[in-house]
Amino acid sequence: MEVGAALLEGAQSAGCRAIAVVGTAKNVGKSVTVGAICAALARTSVPFAVVSTGRDGESVDSLRGTPKPPLFLRPGALFVTARSLLPAGPAVEILAQTRERSAVGAIVLARARAAGCYEIAGPPSVAGMRRVLDLVRTWGEPFVVLDGALDRLAVLSEGDEAIVVATGAASGRTVELIARDVQSLVRRLQLPLFDVQRPSYEVSGALTLAQARALALAGERRQIVVHDATRVAFGGATFGELAAQLDLRCRHVLRPIAVTTASVGPERFFEPRALLCAVARATRLPAYDVFAQACA
Amino acid sequence: MSGLWTVSSAAAVGVPWLERAIAPATEFGRRYNAQHAPYRPGDESLALAAIVRIQAVAQRISADTLDALHAKISRTPDPAEAVARARADEPLNDAELFDLTGFLDIVAEVRALGEAIVMPEIELPPLPVELREVLATGRTAAGTFYLDDRFDPALAAARADAAGARAAYDVLRSRLLERIGRYANVERVHDGGFILMREQMHGPLPPEVRVVREAATYLLCEVALDEAALEALRACEDADRRVVEIEERLRIGLGGAVRAAQRELEGGIAALGALDAFLARVRFAQRYETVVPEIVDVPEIAFVEGRYLPLAAALSEHDRTYLPISLALQGIGVITGPNMGGKTAALRTCGFLGACLSFGLPVPAQSARLALFDEIAWLGSEAARHDESLLSSFGSEVVALREFFERGARAPLVLIDEFARTTTPHEARALLIGLLESLRERNACALAATHLGAIAGALDAAHYAIVGLQKLQPLDEHRALRLDEALTRISAAMDYRIRRVDGETVPQADAMALAAALGLDAELLARARRHL
Repeated sequence: MEVGAALLEGAQSAGCRAIAVVGTAKNVGKSVTVGAICAALARTSVPFAVVSTGRDGESVDSLRGTPKPPLFLRPGALFVTARSLLPAGPAVEILAQTRERSAVGAIVLARARAAGCYEIAGPPSVAGMRRVLDLVRTWGEPFVVLDGALDRLAVLSEGDEAIVVATGAASGRTVELIARDVQSLVRRLQLPLFDVQRPSYEVSGALTLAQARALALAGERRQIVVHDATRVAFGGATFGELAAQLDLRCRHVLRPIAVTTASVGPERFFEPRALLCAVARATRLPAYDVFAQACA
Repeated sequence: MSGLWTVSSAAAVGVPWLERAIAPATEFGRRYNAQHAPYRPGDESLALAAIVRIQAVAQRISADTLDALHAKISRTPDPAEAVARARADEPLNDAELFDLTGFLDIVAEVRALGEAIVMPEIELPPLPVELREVLATGRTAAGTFYLDDRFDPALAAARADAAGARAAYDVLRSRLLERIGRYANVERVHDGGFILMREQMHGPLPPEVRVVREAATYLLCEVALDEAALEALRACEDADRRVVEIEERLRIGLGGAVRAAQRELEGGIAALGALDAFLARVRFAQRYETVVPEIVDVPEIAFVEGRYLPLAAALSEHDRTYLPISLALQGIGVITGPNMGGKTAALRTCGFLGACLSFGLPVPAQSARLALFDEIAWLGSEAARHDESLLSSFGSEVVALREFFERGARAPLVLIDEFARTTTPHEARALLIGLLESLRERNACALAATHLGAIAGALDAAHYAIVGLQKLQPLDEHRALRLDEALTRISAAMDYRIRRVDGETVPQADAMALAAALGLDAELLARARRHL
C-alpha cells in the first residue's frame, strides 16, 4: 500500500478530477499529503497541476518558523505560484500570467521542466481561486491537487473535487481530542443534501453560530439549508451539539474521501497506530498515515 | 485630471462616469492618461486636432475591428518593469521574459491589424524586430515562454547531463527505499521521513535507515544514503548547478538584448498606451454618436440635442426615455422652470459637454459650439459640505463659493444650482444677483438654475425656461399610487425643452400639480391652494 496512490485511487474511483487537502491545524502533514499525491500522480503520468490557497513548498513555515517539507515536482507538473517565488533555476515554463495577486505578488501558471523543489502560492480570495482553477483547466484539463485552507473550501462547491482532511499531533493534546476535532470537521463536510419534498429554511450566506443557536432555541424543525458545508461558520464541539438539534442540510454536497494522520508534531507525538485507528473510528472514513504507509 | 474641477463638481457633472467610459484597457494606457493634462484655454487648436482625429476614426473603423484591437491591447502584458530592470543591469526572470515576448507578439499583431485598415490617424507602436527574433526562441506554439535548449547548445548538453544524473540518483535512492521496504515488509516507505513500527522490524536495522527518534512502539527514521547514492547526489547537484549557471548567463545575455532595444521598447510601451487611450475615446465617440464641436475662445456653451450621458444611461437601465436638450448660452444666464423639469439636468449637460471638450473628446450632441474652460465649478445644492457638524447647507455653499473665488479661475464655466435656497428668498435673490454680476465681470460662462424671480431681468442676462408640465393624466383615485407609475405620468406630461424667454416671466414651479401627482393628500393640497 502506498498512501498517495491510495488517495488518488479513492478520488478517481469517486469520479473526481481534483483532490483538495485541508488541514485541521498547522503542521498536521498537509504538505506531506500533497507531496505524496503529487508523487503518485507523477508515477501514473496523469497530467496534473498543484494549486495552493496560501503559500506552500517553502522550506520554513512562515508563521511558526518550523521546517516544512519541500514540494518536489517532476517535469511536466503544472503549478501556480507568485512571480516572486519562481526559482532562479532550474528554469520553468511560464504558461500564463493571471490577474490575481497573492500576498507575495502577482500569480502565474507555470510548468516544471526539470525535477526540483518548488514553492507554490495562490490567490487569497475564493473568486480569485475559481478564476485560477478555470485557467488551469484550460491547459489540458489536468488533475488538480489543491493545497487548501478550510475557509477557502467554498471554491470546491462545484462538486467534482474529493477532499482529504489532514490531521495530526499538532491539532490536539490527546488522541481523543484530535479524533473528536476531526470527527466534527468531517461531519460538517459531510452535510447531507437537502430534501426538496420537506419544508426548509434557506440561509443566505453563512450560517453563524448566533443564528444557529437562535434557531435551535426556537425549536426549528425544518431543514436548515446552506449553499454548501463551507457556509457553516462554526465547528468543533459546538457543531456537534447544534447538528444534533438542527436538521442541517446543503444544496451542494462536498466529498470528503479520507483522512491522513501525522503522529509527530513539533510539540508532541503519539503512537501512530493508536492515532490512525482513533481517527478512522471517529470519522468512519479511510485513514492513512503517510509516514508509516499504514491505513485503518 | 485634477485642477479643472473639485471632487464634488466633478461628481455633479458626471466626470467619474466619463472617466470610466473612456478608461483604457491597460496599465500603460492609464499611465498615458495620467501624463496628459486636460485641455485648457489656449489649447483650442490642439484639442480640435485631437477631436477631429478621434471622430474621423470613429466614423470609418468598424466596431468589429475596434473590438479586435481593444481585445488584443487589453491582454498585453506590461513589460515596463522588465525594461527598467534590464536598464539597471539586473537579470530578468522567466516571468519577465514571458511578459516581453507577449508584449512584442501583441505589438506585432496590433501593427498587422492597424496596417490592414490603413488609417493614418492611428499611430502604430514600433516593433523591435531584432529583440523579438531573439526572444522568439523561447516562445512556444502555445504562447508560453521557456529558456529553451535552442538558446544555447551548452544548455541542452547541461540539461541532458542533469537529467541523466537525476535518473542515476533516483535509481540508487529507489533501491535504498525498496530495501527498507522489504525490511519493513511494506510496498514503499515514505521518501523524506518515515515511521517504522517495532512490530515491522525483523532483526537489526539495515544501514540505510537513520533513526531520528525512538519511541516505545516505533522509530521515526529517514533514509541514510550510502556512498554510491551520496556520490550520485553530488553529481546530481553539480549538474543542476551547471544548468543554473548557464541559464543565468543566458538571462544576462537576454537582458543585454533587452537593454539594446530599450529605446524602441519604451517607445512601443508609450505608443501602445497612447493607442489604448485613443481607441477608448474612439469607442466612446462611436458608441455615443458624437460630433466635433466648434471651439470658441469666448465664454460660450451652445448645443443642439445635447445629451447628459450618465442620466441617459441610468434612464435606459430603467427602460425610460431620455430627451436631449438644446441651449445657447453666452456669458451668464438664468434657467427657471418646474420642479422635476430638468433644470439641474441642463446644468449637468453643460458641465458634461465642457468636460468632454477638456478631455479632447467629440461631444454627444447634434451640434455644439463651446469654449475650453480652466475650471468647471458646481455651486449650490451639491457643493461640498466642509464640516458636517459645523456648517449648515447655506454655510457649506458659501464656503464652496469663497473657495471658488480664491482659486482665481480666469475662464471658468460655473453651474449654479439653486444657490442659497435654504435662506430667505429676498436675501437669496440678492446674493444670486451679486454672484452673477461678479462672474460676468470675470468673463465667466455661468448658468444659474433657480426658482427665484426677476433675476435675469435685474442683470439683463439671458433667461431660459423649461417649457414644463402639460396636461397631467388624472390619477385613478381607486388605485394605490405606485411611485414608478407616478414618475411615468409626470415624465409623459413634462415638456423638457428649454426656450429662451424674452423679458422677465414669473418662474413656474408646478409644485402643486406635481405634489398631487406624487400622491400628496388632496385635503392638504386644497388648504395650500387657498394660500396661493
